[in-house]
Amino acid sequence: MKHPKLPSAILRCAVILTLALPSTLSGEATDGEKLFALHISEILAEKCIACHSRDKDKKLKGKLDLSSRETILNGGESGEVLIPGEARKSLLYLATTWEDEDYEMPPKEADRLSKEQQWKLRDWINAGAPWPDEKRVAELRNEFATGEIVKTSGGLGDDWTNRRYETKKLWAYRPLQVEEVPEGKHPVDWFIRRKLNRLGLSPAPVAAARGLARRLSFGLTGLPPQPTDAKDFAEAHATDPALAVTNYGRKLMATPHYGEHFGRQWLDVARYADSAGFANDYARPNAWRYRDYVVRAFNNDKRYDQFVREQVAGDEIDSSNPEHLIATGFLRMGPWEQTGMSVFRVTRQQWLDDVTDSVGQAFLAHPLQCAKCHDHKFDPIPTRDYYRMMAVFSTTQFAERATPFLKEENKTGFAEATQWILAKQRSYQRQKKTLNERIAKQKKKEIGSAKTGNNNLDPGDEASQARIFKNLSRHRWELDKTKPIAFAVYTGKTIQRKNVSSRTPMPGAPWGEGAMEEDTILTGGDAYTRGDPVRPGPLSVAEHLGGMAPADFTAGQGNRRLALAEWIVDQKNPLTARVMVNRVWSWHFGKGLAGNPNNFGGTGAQPTHPQLLDYLASWFMKNGWSVKKLNELILSSAAYRRSSRHPDPAVVEKKDPKKSFYAIQIPRRLTAEELRDAMLAASGELNRQRGGLPARPDINLEVAMQPRQIMGGTASVYEPDPHPSQRNRRSLYAEKIRGLRDPFLETFNQPGSDKSCELRETSTVAPQALTLFNSEEVQDRALAFAARLLKEGTSDEHVVTRAFALALGRHTTAVELESCLRHWKNATAEERGKRYEPKEFPKGITRTVMAEKTGEPYSFWESMPAYDQYVPDLQRSDVDARTRGLAQVCLVIFNLNEFSYLD
Amino acid sequence: MQSPPNVFMPGRRDVLYGLGASLGSLALTSLLRGAETGSEERVHHPARAKRCIFLMMEGGPSHIDTFDPKPELTNRHLQAFTRSGEQESAMSSGKRYFVQSPFEFIKAGQCGADICSEWTHLKERVDDICFYRGAQAESVNHPTACYHINTGNRFGGDPGIGSWVTYGLGSQNENLPGFVVLPRSSYPQGGAANWSNGYLPAQFQGTPLRPEGSPILDLNPPKGVSRQRQRANLDLLAKLNQGHLAARPGRSELEARLNSYELAYRMQMEVPDILDLDGESEATREMYGIGQAKTDAFGRKCLLARRLIEKGVRFVQAYAGNWDSHDYIERAHGSLIRSVDRPIAALLKDLKQRGLLDETLVIFCGEFGRTPDNGLRGGGKSYGRDHNAKAMTMWFAGGGTKGGHTVGATDELGAEAVECVHPIRDVHVTLLHLLGLDDNRLTYYHAGRFKQLSQFGGEVIQELIG
Repeated sequence: MKHPKLPSAILRCAVILTLALPSTLSGEATDGEKLFALHISEILAEKCIACHSRDKDKKLKGKLDLSSRETILNGGESGEVLIPGEARKSLLYLATTWEDEDYEMPPKEADRLSKEQQWKLRDWINAGAPWPDEKRVAELRNEFATGEIVKTSGGLGDDWTNRRYETKKLWAYRPLQVEEVPEGKHPVDWFIRRKLNRLGLSPAPVAAARGLARRLSFGLTGLPPQPTDAKDFAEAHATDPALAVTNYGRKLMATPHYGEHFGRQWLDVARYADSAGFANDYARPNAWRYRDYVVRAFNNDKRYDQFVREQVAGDEIDSSNPEHLIATGFLRMGPWEQTGMSVFRVTRQQWLDDVTDSVGQAFLAHPLQCAKCHDHKFDPIPTRDYYRMMAVFSTTQFAERATPFLKEENKTGFAEATQWILAKQRSYQRQKKTLNERIAKQKKKEIGSAKTGNNNLDPGDEASQARIFKNLSRHRWELDKTKPIAFAVYTGKTIQRKNVSSRTPMPGAPWGEGAMEEDTILTGGDAYTRGDPVRPGPLSVAEHLGGMAPADFTAGQGNRRLALAEWIVDQKNPLTARVMVNRVWSWHFGKGLAGNPNNFGGTGAQPTHPQLLDYLASWFMKNGWSVKKLNELILSSAAYRRSSRHPDPAVVEKKDPKKSFYAIQIPRRLTAEELRDAMLAASGELNRQRGGLPARPDINLEVAMQPRQIMGGTASVYEPDPHPSQRNRRSLYAEKIRGLRDPFLETFNQPGSDKSCELRETSTVAPQALTLFNSEEVQDRALAFAARLLKEGTSDEHVVTRAFALALGRHTTAVELESCLRHWKNATAEERGKRYEPKEFPKGITRTVMAEKTGEPYSFWESMPAYDQYVPDLQRSDVDARTRGLAQVCLVIFNLNEFSYLD
Repeated sequence: MQSPPNVFMPGRRDVLYGLGASLGSLALTSLLRGAETGSEERVHHPARAKRCIFLMMEGGPSHIDTFDPKPELTNRHLQAFTRSGEQESAMSSGKRYFVQSPFEFIKAGQCGADICSEWTHLKERVDDICFYRGAQAESVNHPTACYHINTGNRFGGDPGIGSWVTYGLGSQNENLPGFVVLPRSSYPQGGAANWSNGYLPAQFQGTPLRPEGSPILDLNPPKGVSRQRQRANLDLLAKLNQGHLAARPGRSELEARLNSYELAYRMQMEVPDILDLDGESEATREMYGIGQAKTDAFGRKCLLARRLIEKGVRFVQAYAGNWDSHDYIERAHGSLIRSVDRPIAALLKDLKQRGLLDETLVIFCGEFGRTPDNGLRGGGKSYGRDHNAKAMTMWFAGGGTKGGHTVGATDELGAEAVECVHPIRDVHVTLLHLLGLDDNRLTYYHAGRFKQLSQFGGEVIQELIG
């Protein structure tokens, strides 16, 4: 062992002190010792030991062993790494600063030491790098450690179980702390003003009527205000803005569009889609009933606790209640399939992981996936909790269950939908027949010991056989969409399934056939490596820190999910109400009081206004978990009514650069769905019908017709619904096919439905401009808008003024009016010389793809029965030059920033 | 103290792009500037490659019938056996029989690389190629395996490799995306999620240049709308936007949105220009096999890939397939090899001639390999192979890889990799490494964690590097 080099004069004092101390066992603790006990030992254990110790059968990296002071002093490949007393000469410290690119440790950015940790390491080395023994470390920790040890169901090791957490990062697990709000004060404003006052930031004044009407209408219904409503609102706003907001808010919440919009936001969280994803991407023909269940729940203002119960355990509560069965669709919304190529144990595990994580994110704001392979790195969530939660679902099984239609459910279009499927099937059957005949005639028996494809068949014929077979089975399953079936679950034993290509029926006896799954930890997250057995159970930290009564979840054949549901909605559960009020808040303000609505753990953003969050959570429960009442409370605040423009923006920029304190309302862009719906509303084409079968709007034709690979062939082409009224429904109702996204919606940041989405993102990219300027769909809206305006308008000036009123909810300025009129005139002059033929829509399509068996391309024809009765939207050939000219103005209006953004 | 204070210490890229927050103008600014022109200051260590062309052989090409000969299979040809087990899918269990390769193998080049003789053009380029037989996938399903090789995550929803690379290095052309995909007219299983930007900002999404119809969706207005009309519309748009913008000072996202229209307008000129292969010499077109029925489609993709990287695109992924030969392997693989052989050989030759190969990493791989045995097909035996996650061959050329070498090995049947065995994530880490990027530092903070392509870290496969 080398002697430490002479410390510099400045540090000598400290070192002498340190060196002297190990002999003073009296209990006097040095700073160096404290640093080691409280910080350094953990940093080493957490960040270094995995690679730098001889413990495991792993390679010792850099021949450097950091498991004891002695081995550290021995150094490694790069020579000495620790010179006690001289941090600036010790690689052990220098490497953590990443100043020298050849020595950057730990090598992962994700593991990199914080500045604070680097300083601690430096100070510890400068203090002589003392290394007290375990007993002493325990004493020191006991005496000096800050942060809290948190009781949980227990980690995989004691180190984890006994680790400490920064108090502020445990906020979400503590009971609600509800502050009194002085009489006569609005609670939202009371808490928000308090922060603003502290910052010395005065809030913006109330927003102008027009912007506020749009904010309310889009915020509550996802649609632009009706012009008459906007007018009424403006009048009311002039005398009493607060009252105007409350009244208009109530009115909007009483429309069915409220449930559609709020439902859509919940469906983002629920990862809703109408297809299964992956190789076959089979339709989920009954998923739409869950979508409508969610819309109904918001419209009927179903108590949120009941909403949770039904989605988690509806079947266990009352399997004779259709709503309850439909609600459990939530549990199956993730992508999932079982084909002949997959191992059931693996796909079953995939679902268990998805449901555990999704329930964690949606209801408890905890992405539990982080605790699947190891105890959670940052939060007090042990792996044991992950598998306790998973055990809740190990007796949950898939079934398409018989569930009668409710009178509220929209059964419009059942006959047409079925007819279309039957027409597809008939066409395939006909083709199959001819094909089989031809194959029978041409096929030569292969004489070799195994088939090589030398059978005299056209390469496409064999491929078509497989393709037609697969599509027939897809369409057969699709016929279920009009049947009284719920995409649901039941409780029972697990039945092995090899290939799921049709509806899964309820077994006669849920506890008969099948196997009881073992509930254990899966070591390292591996489906085949069983660890300790577990019992079903909740998040233990919430129970302990939240002061909840210890939960005793049933196991065996009991109602495990019901136990979990009751635990989630327990009034004492510290997470549930906070999570939901935070979501609702984020739906109104574009950001949560806690910045990550799906993550309330230590890595999620801390709440900016914890007292307000707690107040609202408590208020929400006291008011019957009513989301509508909560909306009303929020809407009635001055914070909600605030303008997005501050009289002194520089002050806001300086004092609140992140816009966290609600001095202004944060402007937002419309979501993809709102944008499409707003155009349909302006053009007058929007069909406001509620619910029902997924609609098939026109989407980019090239995408619709593009061959889409599925297992065994090519999926049937996407065909829009034949009638404009079917197609031009709210975007919420557009069929959501995982493997075939509507490029318009996708471009405007509609999230994929593979994972729960906590909040929409807004990006600005050039393809948005292309689609909003060039696409047929938007051009069609512009043309229909123009036609509507001309039909309703009295003079050119009136037409343009009305265009602004309908699309933007305001009057034109003189300059705008003049520019638009001139544009219209010029465009009309151009159009005069043009003639347009009506668009032709083919009844079938020929496409070329690769044949799997032969690796050669082949072409095939497919019928498109939807086009037999297809009625296009208004076309250019239907209207005169003046209308087409005006459509150019309308197109520009749809592209305005003002159209896309709310103030 | 268990908190991860480091997560609040953003790296430079996070500052640039925002901590997963809404992007607004930042995203666009970098899109407009095409990010930094010089990538030197963005790399973590000196790069061996500046760009990458990824030849994605979708469907799972058989290593046994292309680059990894297994003479032992001749001895066992059609020998029957049964297999069962909880970890076997329906397709790998039950009655099975071995299948020998229908193809003849030769030793090619100065390095004597193994290659099946169907590769009549590629065999001339093997001295530039580093064959790798040690990679293992983790899924035997096409979509999950495709997601895995393309995004590092089997279940989709994460950013593609090209997204990570452009996030790391930026693009060099202000009018083109940094990550371009050249798909077949039918997209792979799992669809566009194979080149999604995942949680990375949207400008890092792979932009498919479609082989048929409009190369970029809605690149042009419907028929009958002239360029003058478009210009007039854009001018009115700019004019009407002015008042709105003036009343909202400091709202950079609104300005960015205006600029995005101008960029879109410029793309309408730029993109057709790149796609127009007529400017290439007849000899070049001929070399790539353009104009010949078998090779035209992939030949165009390979030539286009070269043109794109010349224009500064960082990452081009070209799809060919479908290599999913459960039956008739001689016919199917034979046909597929013929469709890509000439184009790929031409690409390597062309890159080399132009002095681009040194700095361009070319990768050839599928989502998994194939089994030495087959299951009953329609009740009888068929010369084909099932999916195999445990063995595959991928190869690399240029970009600092060890040309003229074969690294790793599979067992005597080609059932499983046994030498220099690495999971896909190590391939990803190696790929980034060659491009000057350290997977452990090319991270993005999302949902409470720094995420990375390899998911949890991996190691560089040093044996592949020259």
